[in-house]
Amino acid sequence: MTASRVASTVVVIAVVGGSLFVGNVRLSILVGVLVTAIAALGLDVLVARTGELSLAHAAFLGVGAFTAVNVGSRGAPWPVTILAAVAVTAAAATIAGLPSLRIRGLQVAITTLAFQEFAEVFLFSRSDVTAAGRTWTRPSFVSSDIRLYLFALALLVLVLVVRLRVGVTKAGRALLAVRDVQDRAVCFGVEPGPSKLLAYALSGAIVGLAGSLFALKAGSISANDPFLLLESLQLVAILVVGGTGSPAGIVTAAVLVKGLPQFMSTIPFTHLHADRIVPIASAALLVIAVVAAPDGIGGLYRAAGRLLDRWLDPRARLRPEPRARSVDRDAPGAARLPHVQRSLSLRMPVPALLEARDVRVEYGGVTALGGVSLEARRGEIVGLIGANGAGKSTFFNAVSGLAPVTGSIRYRGVELVGRRASGRSALGTSRTFQDVGLLRPESVVENVLLAQTWLARYAAGVGILGMGGSVRTEGELRRRARLALELFGLDHLENERVGSLPYGTMRIVEIASAIAAGPDLLLLDEATAGLGPEESQALGDRFLAVRDELDLTLVIVEHHVPLVARVCDYVYCLESGVLIAEGKPGDVTADPRVVESFLGRADAASGRSSR
Amino acid sequence: MLARIITGLSAGAAYALVAVGVVLIYKCTRVLSLAQGEIGAFGFFIGLRWAARGIPGLGWHPARFVTLCIAVLIGALLGAVIERIVIRPLVGRPPLDALIATLGIALFLALLEKELFGTATQFAPSPVGEWKVSVLGATLVAPRIVALGSAGVIALAIYLFFSRTRFGLAVRATTGDPTVAKLMGVRVNRVYRFSWVAAGALAGLAAALLGPAFGGLTPFAMTKFSLRALAGAVIGGLDSIWGAIVGSLFVGVLESVVGGQFATSGSAEFAVLILVIGTLVARPRGLLGTEGAA
Repeated sequence: MTASRVASTVVVIAVVGGSLFVGNVRLSILVGVLVTAIAALGLDVLVARTGELSLAHAAFLGVGAFTAVNVGSRGAPWPVTILAAVAVTAAAATIAGLPSLRIRGLQVAITTLAFQEFAEVFLFSRSDVTAAGRTWTRPSFVSSDIRLYLFALALLVLVLVVRLRVGVTKAGRALLAVRDVQDRAVCFGVEPGPSKLLAYALSGAIVGLAGSLFALKAGSISANDPFLLLESLQLVAILVVGGTGSPAGIVTAAVLVKGLPQFMSTIPFTHLHADRIVPIASAALLVIAVVAAPDGIGGLYRAAGRLLDRWLDPRARLRPEPRARSVDRDAPGAARLPHVQRSLSLRMPVPALLEARDVRVEYGGVTALGGVSLEARRGEIVGLIGANGAGKSTFFNAVSGLAPVTGSIRYRGVELVGRRASGRSALGTSRTFQDVGLLRPESVVENVLLAQTWLARYAAGVGILGMGGSVRTEGELRRRARLALELFGLDHLENERVGSLPYGTMRIVEIASAIAAGPDLLLLDEATAGLGPEESQALGDRFLAVRDELDLTLVIVEHHVPLVARVCDYVYCLESGVLIAEGKPGDVTADPRVVESFLGRADAASGRSSR
Repeated sequence: MLARIITGLSAGAAYALVAVGVVLIYKCTRVLSLAQGEIGAFGFFIGLRWAARGIPGLGWHPARFVTLCIAVLIGALLGAVIERIVIRPLVGRPPLDALIATLGIALFLALLEKELFGTATQFAPSPVGEWKVSVLGATLVAPRIVALGSAGVIALAIYLFFSRTRFGLAVRATTGDPTVAKLMGVRVNRVYRFSWVAAGALAGLAAALLGPAFGGLTPFAMTKFSLRALAGAVIGGLDSIWGAIVGSLFVGVLESVVGGQFATSGSAEFAVLILVIGTLVARPRGLLGTEGAA
C-alpha cells in the first residue's frame, strides 16, 4: 500500500465523516450535490468509455426524477420506484443512443442536443409526464436529513462499484475498443453496436438513479429548471473540470460547482454573490480546463499523490521512472500457454486450414484484389510478399471480415465469407495490423485482455454485476494474459501504456495479444517493420518456436526477404491484386517476375522496401 | 400553408446566417462551434447598450444601424479572441475537446450577458427600417427580408471567395491537410483566424436581425436559435456552405409548418429532432456534404 493510497483513504474518511456534522440545512444541500455528482459520473461512463458526448443528460435526470414521482406517488414500494426510474431512464438513453450506431462524435453530440430540446419542450410540458401535483411521500427509512444523506452516499458507493466492475470486465474493454479503433473492434471479437448501446443504457441507468434520489429529496417536482439545457452543459463542465475517468475529481467538481453557491448563502454576513459568480467561473474553468488541463482536478490529485509517494519514500525518488525495455530474448517457452477449447476441432480432416478461392475485393470500382486463390496448410508458415499496394493487407482484411469480399474463404472447411467478423477470433483466427491495431492510451495487459474477449464467456451485463462466474473467468484470463506476455518477454511491461512503448515493442505486444486469443491461424502484417536486423532475426526464431509449441499456422506479410526465405514453408507473391508467383521461398525469390515487380524496386542492400 | 412556408423560409434564412458561420469554421478548423449564437447575441446586447434608440416618431434612424455594425464588429472581435486563446491550442486534439471548449464559451457568454444585461427580454427596433412586405399571404417585417437577402448574398460571396481567390485556395488546402498546407507555405493560422472572425461577424449580423424579427432577445435565446442553425448545418452537411443554407431553410420551414399544424407544444422541436436524426442516419455526411463531413 503506497503512501498516497493511505493518504487518500484518510482524506476520504475524514471528509465524509466531517460532512455528517454540518447540520441539517447543509446536509440537504449535500444530497443535492450528490444527485449532480452521480449524474456526472453517469455521463462520465459514456464520455470516458465511448468518447462520445451527450448534451442531454439533464433531460435524462428529469426522466428519472419524473418517473420516480409518478411511480412512487402511486404507492409503489421505494425499491420498485427506484428500479422503475432506473429502467425507464436507461431505456430513454438507449433510444437516444441509437443514432450513434450510424454516426459519430460531433454529430452524435448534435443529436443529443436536439433530444434535450425535444425533452424540454415536449416531454416536460406535459402534466402526465411531470406528475404535476403528485407527491412521492418519503419512505420512513430516509425520514431525516441525515438518513437521506447516508442513503445518497450509499447510492454513490454503488455507482462507484458498478463503474469499477465495468472497468475490469469485458463490457468496459469492448467499449474502449469501439472508442479507439471502432472499425477494427470486430477483430477483437467485439460487436460495436451492442457495446455502445450498453454504454448508453448504463449511463442512463446511473443518471436514473440520480433522478430518483432527486425525487426522493424533493417529493414533488414543480419546476423544470434542474433538467434544462443549462444543467446539461453544467454536467459537462463538472465532468471536464473534474477530469474524465476520475471519480474523486468529478465529485470534487460537483461540490464546487453545485455546493459552493448554496453553502455561501448559509454563511451569514457574506456579501459575495457566490450563486452568481460560481456558474460564470465554472464556465470559464471549463474552457481553461479543456485548453490547459485536460486531466482536470483528478489529474491534480494524481500528481499530488505521486509527489507524496516520492517525498515519503526515498527509494521511489531514486528509482527511475519505469522505462520500456526491448524484447527479452531468453523468454520461457510457449508450452505454458494453455490451449483453448473451441467448437471446431483441429482433428477434423481438411486439406488446408485456410483455403481462399478466387477472392475479390473491390472498393467503388477500384479492384484491390482481383481473384486470389491461396491456401495455408496446418503447421505451415506461409509468406505473402509483394510491393506496396499489391493487396497483401487487403487479403488479411478479407480473411478477418473488414473488406467486402466475393469468392470463397474457407477456414477449416467453414465458409468465412458472409459470416460475422466479430465471430472469427472464436473460430480460431487472429491478426495484427500493419500500423499496430492496439489501443494506445491503454495498458499492455488491458490490450491482451481485450484480445481475449471471446474467451470471457459471460454476458457483458451480467459481468458488471459480478455474476455468471465473471470474477473467476477474469482471474483466469489475467493469468493467461500474463503467460502470453511472458512468452515474448514482455511481462515487466504489463502496466505500461502501449502508446509510451517503442514502436518495435508495440508490434511484439500486438503479436503477444493475438496469440493470447488462442488462435490456430495467425495473420501477421509486417511484424518486423520498425525492428532492427537482430530483433527481426530473433522474432523469426520466435515464429518458428510458437508455430511448433502452440501448433499454430502462420500467414505473414513480410518485406524482409531473408526472413521470408528462412522461416516460410511456402510463399505467394502478389502484384496489383493478383498472384504472380507461388512456391518454395527460394524458387519465388528467384522468379524473374517477382524480381521485376518487388525485389527490383526494393532497397537492394537489405532486401527491405522503404516505407 | 403557403404563408407558413414563406414565414419559415425567412426564419430559416436567419438561421442560415449562423449556420454559414458554423460551416465556415468547420471547413477551416474542423471545429464544430456551439458558441456562434452567443457570440452574436453578446455583440447585439453591447450594440443595444451603446447605440441610441433612435428618434421617436421616425421609423428608422442611423443610430439603429450602428447597433448592427457594433454587433458585427464585436462578433468579429470575439471570434478573433476565441480563435487565438482557445481554439489554436486545441489544434490536433480530439474534435470533441474543441466542441466542449466552444460549449464552455457559449455558457460563459450567456451567463455574462445575464449578469451585465439582466434576464429581461431586450427589445430592439429594427436596424434596417420598419417596412413590411406581403408575399402570398405572409407578411414579412424588414429584418426578415434582409436576413433572406443577405443569406443569399453572403453564401454567393463565400462561394466565389473559395473558388476564385488565392486565400480561398489556401483555405481549401488547409481543410484537406493542415500539415501539408503548412509545408506548402500556407499560413494556416491566418486561415483559422479568418474563419472565426468571419463567422463571428456573421453571428453578430444574425443576432442583430433576429433580435428585432423575433421580438427581442434574452440571454440564452440565441442558444436556441443557434441550435436550429446547428441542425441546419448538420442536415446540409457540415462542410458545405450551400448545404448549411438549404438545411437551415429546411429547418425553418419544417418548424413553421409543423408548429402551425399541431397545437401541442414541442411538436416543432420533435419534427426537427426527427429530421436531424433521420438525415444523419440515412446520410451521415448530410445532404450536400462531402465524405469528410461524416
